[in-house]
Amino acid sequence: MGALFDVLTDNFDELAGGLWVTLRLVGASFAIALVVGTLVAALRIAPSKWLQRLGGVYVETFRNVPLLVLLFISFAGLRRAGVPISNWAAGIGSLGLYTAAYVAEVLRSGVFAVSRGQIEAALSLGFSYGATLRRIVLPQAFRTVIAPLASITIAMIKNSAIVGVSLLALPDLLKEARIVQSRTFQTDEAFFWAAVGYLLITASATIAFRRLERRFAIRR
Amino acid sequence: MANSDAGGPLVELRAVRKSFGDNLVLDDIDLAIAPGEAVVVAGPSGSGKSTMLRCINGLEEIDSGSVRFDGRPVDPRSKSIGPMRAEIGMVFQQFNLFPHKTVLENITLAPVKVKGIEPAAAQARARELLETVGIPEKAGASPADLSGGQQQRVAIARALAMDPKLMLFDEPTSALDPEMIREVLDVMRELARGGMTMVVVTHEMGFAREVCDRIVFIDDGRIVEQGPPAEFFAAAKSPRAREFVDKIIHH
Ligand SMILES: Nc1ncnc2c1ncn2[C@@H]1O[C@H](COP(=O)(O)OP(=O)(O)O)[C@@H](O)[C@H]1O
Ligand SMILES: [Mg+2]
Repeated sequence: MGALFDVLTDNFDELAGGLWVTLRLVGASFAIALVVGTLVAALRIAPSKWLQRLGGVYVETFRNVPLLVLLFISFAGLRRAGVPISNWAAGIGSLGLYTAAYVAEVLRSGVFAVSRGQIEAALSLGFSYGATLRRIVLPQAFRTVIAPLASITIAMIKNSAIVGVSLLALPDLLKEARIVQSRTFQTDEAFFWAAVGYLLITASATIAFRRLERRFAIRR
Repeated sequence: MANSDAGGPLVELRAVRKSFGDNLVLDDIDLAIAPGEAVVVAGPSGSGKSTMLRCINGLEEIDSGSVRFDGRPVDPRSKSIGPMRAEIGMVFQQFNLFPHKTVLENITLAPVKVKGIEPAAAQARARELLETVGIPEKAGASPADLSGGQQQRVAIARALAMDPKLMLFDEPTSALDPEMIREVLDVMRELARGGMTMVVVTHEMGFAREVCDRIVFIDDGRIVEQGPPAEFFAAAKSPRAREFVDKIIHH
């Protein structure tokens, strides 16, 4: 038992720093996933076949390429092509755009759960198609998909571990745990604390989503 | 100058045709509605009543003919359709209140966001309207906490908050339990008395007889017969209308 806590206290700065990097990585990726996911969902339901197809291509591309491959392409590939992308931008971009595909699909299902009558009511009040989408359809879609959005977010938090161990070498929680492990050879202890760190983040996210659900979920 | 001020009809459909695939739903519809007139549209299920109503505010596109509101063409594809719809209230069978908004927000949303009315003024007006429809105490409630009759009265208040020139009702009481039909019809009767131009699709023939100026009877996408309710009920000329009246009266 003593050894377990020693590993934490002796390497606290590294582990806490790693946790902080993971938090920032996850937070920024989540913001991108929400914004891009919403835009792609809007494409998927746009009144134009071409826009719908464009949204479909996005979703299929990002859902069907492994995250690790995205990371390689966005970092090494872009750099070789002469784009001076930072490891942060590549990590946040890949994780965010990858997760956005899932957000878009879930939102789209939420949009289909909004009845045709809601759209007609808004249109008949004088709202444009865009305003109807923004004020009536999407807010309701978000409220009906809070639970699946929570699962996507938890998956994204766990997926963030891939970013640190990929060639990007971002000093995130798992990366720092590996550094501690290779220095102290206390493998179980180092990864135990990494697991605790991820649990802290996922549990907080779960609680936050539960609150959102209690506050906003639509009763029909 | 607006057409209705010049003595012309507020709504005018001319030779309107509309198909869904090869199902001809509106077949050469001519109809003019004067300002202040209350018209009931009756007819069997599937005869095209809803479709006709939805052509008036451009929720359906027509295949040929013309639809005019207040002297202007109704064109679902033009930019002017939004502002035009803002002048036409619509009440649906399923109420269609916004479930993520309170009752008050349901009523103030369009006045504030579409017409640009000050939120405080819109709220004051919304409370007045809730008073008019008899549920001032429900301003802060969620639609899900209201009975069907209450929801429909909020939906009417929501439409009225835009100060429409015309109100369209598509079977506003058909989804209601019998004891709630009365409270909604009472609100509609008051509206008609106040001079609102209304087109009401309904099977409530008691309401038609008592409140409307004209009954328009539709069968199979055609206007088969129309006239003042007294005449229509006493002596409908077409066999289909007779049959319809008999069925409804003897139930
Ligand atoms: N969106 C639609 N797509 C295809 N057919 C439709 C649509 N809306 C209505 N119809 C058809 O048009 C006909 C008239 O419908 P409707 O206007 O709703 O009749 P009513 O309101 O008199 O019952 C029906 O045969 C119906 O099935
Ligand atoms: Mg109908």
